[in-house]
Amino acid sequence: MISLPLFRREARRSILLLVIFAGILALYASVILTMYDPELGDSLAMMKDAMPELFAAFGMSDPGSTLTEFLANYLYGFLFLVLPLVLLILLTNRLVVGYLDRGTMAWLLSTPTPRWKIAATQALFQVVCGVLTVVYAGGLCAILSAAMYPGELAATPFFRLNLTLAALLCLLGSLCFLGACALPDSRRGLALGGGLCVVFILLQMLAQSGEKWEWLQYLTPLTAFDSAALASGGGSLWPALGLAGGAAILYAAGIWVFTRRDLCL
Amino acid sequence: MNHVIDVQGLTKDYGQGRGIFDLTFQVERGEVFGFLGPNGAGKTTTIRHLMGFIRPTAGQAAILGMDCFAQAATIQAHVGYLPGELSLMDDLTGDGFLRFMAQMRGMTDLSAVGELKELFRLDGRQSLRKMSKGTRQKVGLVCAFMARPDLLLLDEPTSGLDPLMQNRFVELLLREKARGATILLSSHMFEELERTCDRVAILRAGRLAAVERTEDLRRARTKRYVFSFPAPEAAAAFSAAWPGASRNDSSVTVALTGREDLSKLLRLAADQQVTDMTVDGGSLEEAFLGYYGEED
Repeated sequence: MISLPLFRREARRSILLLVIFAGILALYASVILTMYDPELGDSLAMMKDAMPELFAAFGMSDPGSTLTEFLANYLYGFLFLVLPLVLLILLTNRLVVGYLDRGTMAWLLSTPTPRWKIAATQALFQVVCGVLTVVYAGGLCAILSAAMYPGELAATPFFRLNLTLAALLCLLGSLCFLGACALPDSRRGLALGGGLCVVFILLQMLAQSGEKWEWLQYLTPLTAFDSAALASGGGSLWPALGLAGGAAILYAAGIWVFTRRDLCL
Repeated sequence: MNHVIDVQGLTKDYGQGRGIFDLTFQVERGEVFGFLGPNGAGKTTTIRHLMGFIRPTAGQAAILGMDCFAQAATIQAHVGYLPGELSLMDDLTGDGFLRFMAQMRGMTDLSAVGELKELFRLDGRQSLRKMSKGTRQKVGLVCAFMARPDLLLLDEPTSGLDPLMQNRFVELLLREKARGATILLSSHMFEELERTCDRVAILRAGRLAAVERTEDLRRARTKRYVFSFPAPEAAAAFSAAWPGASRNDSSVTVALTGREDLSKLLRLAADQQVTDMTVDGGSLEEAFLGYYGEED
């Protein structure tokens, strides 16, 4: 199904990038976690009362009363979405755009490896990185929570929260991948796919900032990731399934186009 | 199905007259086939079709009876390729790149890699990014030859190589030919092809101007001989004896095609106590004026 030598090469080549992102995520996770106060009601809440629209825009409308809700609000609402998205865009640039732009794809195609297999390898590597990022970030939060606030984190809602985030990231990653594979100019394709992801985020921020813009939530797949509901034990896993299904379709489409297109190498 | 390469009416129209148009040619097993033409004549575009990178607008290209686009991966098991626009994976060393490519090819026998590196005096420990143009070209060449393929597609293989390494390359090519490999290579210089090729296809503005045996091309080619004599009188006597010779003081220039009698010319020159002689092979433009017509 995939080319192992290529997968290994990408893994070796991306280690540094992944470590850097792991560091950034760890930094944010630990800083935000130390700000959690089980008694609540102090600084963050005061700031939120002072400028509710701004907080709402970043998905921090309700700080929640439990640790899980707090995390969903302050990390999963924005940071844990945007940082991995940046990683996925950088990865698409490495895995697809770089090879096509520089012409090194010619070497991969001069081996007895079918095109679909090369594309599938790159897609899988991207998915693995996206999922690993969530596993890492979620795991880190769980460990830090257990150390700092034993027994406060609700396991099942927290797991479902991470699962849905992973599915959403897969969908955003697949958009970048499809863009890079489908357009004659791969770089522009990635700009289009990545740009669309950014637009989705902006639309969600706008939709959350006031009732006037609420209807915008129907234009962005981010709405399917209802972090607050999931954290408080509600919500369903159907949206996660839908996001993952969408990602699978877009990745398949990217591989399909890549197999049939002209490559100017 | 005896042709290793079979190209029928291959056309790729990029608009504005760019592309390749209605190319038809075959390359036989064990043959060394040259692609000759100026930059932009369509050499690389044709090779891209053979590699299955692009799909023809019309016509077809087949290698070993398989369609070059649809069955590219199967074909690649038999092909060694050197891109004309050489860009390597700069994050690797030379050896790392060759190792990676060997893995991608599923190669277990790496004996050829060492031999080829030895032949080209290639030190693969350096990072590809830091290598000079010629060294990178050597890495590309080793990569193309290392699997001992049945067919070699080499796009401007000698670019960046110094004369010594160019000779090594010709040696290698002849050895591969003796092994039974079929070879297609492109160049914009006839001299480069005439040493190795059995036949040469001449491309011009995306069209096939001619496919000729190298031997015939060599014979049709005009060389210019410039003789120096001790005195203008001797030069005059010599030029009078050879119709078409042009004299300038004590030197005489004679244009000769491969079909004319060189020994007679040399005997005449010796009679007049010739002191010096230089030979000008003539440019591609001169050699193939008939095929090329007007340059655009």
